Amino acid sequence: MEEAVRSGNWSADGRLAAADDAALVTACAQQEPGAFQELLSRYRRPAITLAYQMLGNLEDAEDVAQEAFVRVFQAIPRFRRQAAFSTWLYRIVTNLCLGSRRRRKVTVTLESVREPRSADSPARSVTQVLMTRQVLEAMSPELRVILLLRDQEGLSYSEIAEALRLPMGTVRSRLSKARRSFRQIWNGLSEGGEEQS
Amino acid sequence: MTCRLYEEQLSSYLDRELPAVRAARLEAHLKTCLHCRGELEALGGIAVQLRAASSLVEVSHDFDKRVLRAFGYWHVTGWQRPVKSYLRPLVVAAVLLLGMLAAAWHFFTQPYEPAPAPSPAYSVGAPATPGAPATPGAPAPGVPERDSSKRK
Repeated sequence: MEEAVRSGNWSADGRLAAADDAALVTACAQQEPGAFQELLSRYRRPAITLAYQMLGNLEDAEDVAQEAFVRVFQAIPRFRRQAAFSTWLYRIVTNLCLGSRRRRKVTVTLESVREPRSADSPARSVTQVLMTRQVLEAMSPELRVILLLRDQEGLSYSEIAEALRLPMGTVRSRLSKARRSFRQIWNGLSEGGEEQS
Repeated sequence: MTCRLYEEQLSSYLDRELPAVRAARLEAHLKTCLHCRGELEALGGIAVQLRAASSLVEVSHDFDKRVLRAFGYWHVTGWQRPVKSYLRPLVVAAVLLLGMLAAAWHFFTQPYEPAPAPSPAYSVGAPATPGAPATPGAPAPGVPERDSSKRK
């Protein structure tokens, strides 16, 4: 891999796909076009789903993710690598989402949740997805983002602390609070639904 | 310790972030408390719910292109970089050519302005005084021209 970094010969033998994030960041700093695409293919979905769960709208989520990638790519030559690339990207996506949410109120509708394409997905799962979206909407953005970073994106506590610039103790307590909040709201919605039916 | 205090530790325990001594105490409690075991299971289910919700998100097929276009078109594919390197001198040459054409157009489309009329003493082709020859060597009016061939 180091040889590829030195020689700049990345794409000829498919080394980009096997490269780790740090090596890809180096390749991007060398203006290797394939490296940008490889990072995109790895992180487009996590970035968009994080933004989607934060904003509740796919179009806005893609706009935010696009803005985050452009910012990251433009700043890659100055990236000091004190944090992982993914942590850096998540921090930018999170900040953009929190800024975007402050500008407008989000409402969850059935249309905002896309129907699954596969025929074997039962309608019940769509209802649960809608409920999940409603629960996330009802949570405060600060609790929601920490829950998504841990339980959806799978970041470690230290990575969350780095991404949100929070002390580890705050991450631990806030995540605990976020999970209990999710459970309480979920239970409230479930009971409300049962009463209506 | 009450269930409420243990509940606050369930999240860290789920992520294996609880110190060993406290984790051992909690495990002892979980063996006897059905409520806390149910809570632990429910907290673990949140990740499943969130991932199920995010799995339905469909990314637009042209997302990568949009990002790369917004970032800079020459990063879209490798072959566009050489194009860019050829493009720059072409653009410079085109700008220079346009400049030259503009200068030429300006030069040739200016209306003709004759040179300012010289003072009468240095006029050429017009007699300075009545009877004087208009040009050096030209006979004055009324003076017959000498035939120089006769002299030979």
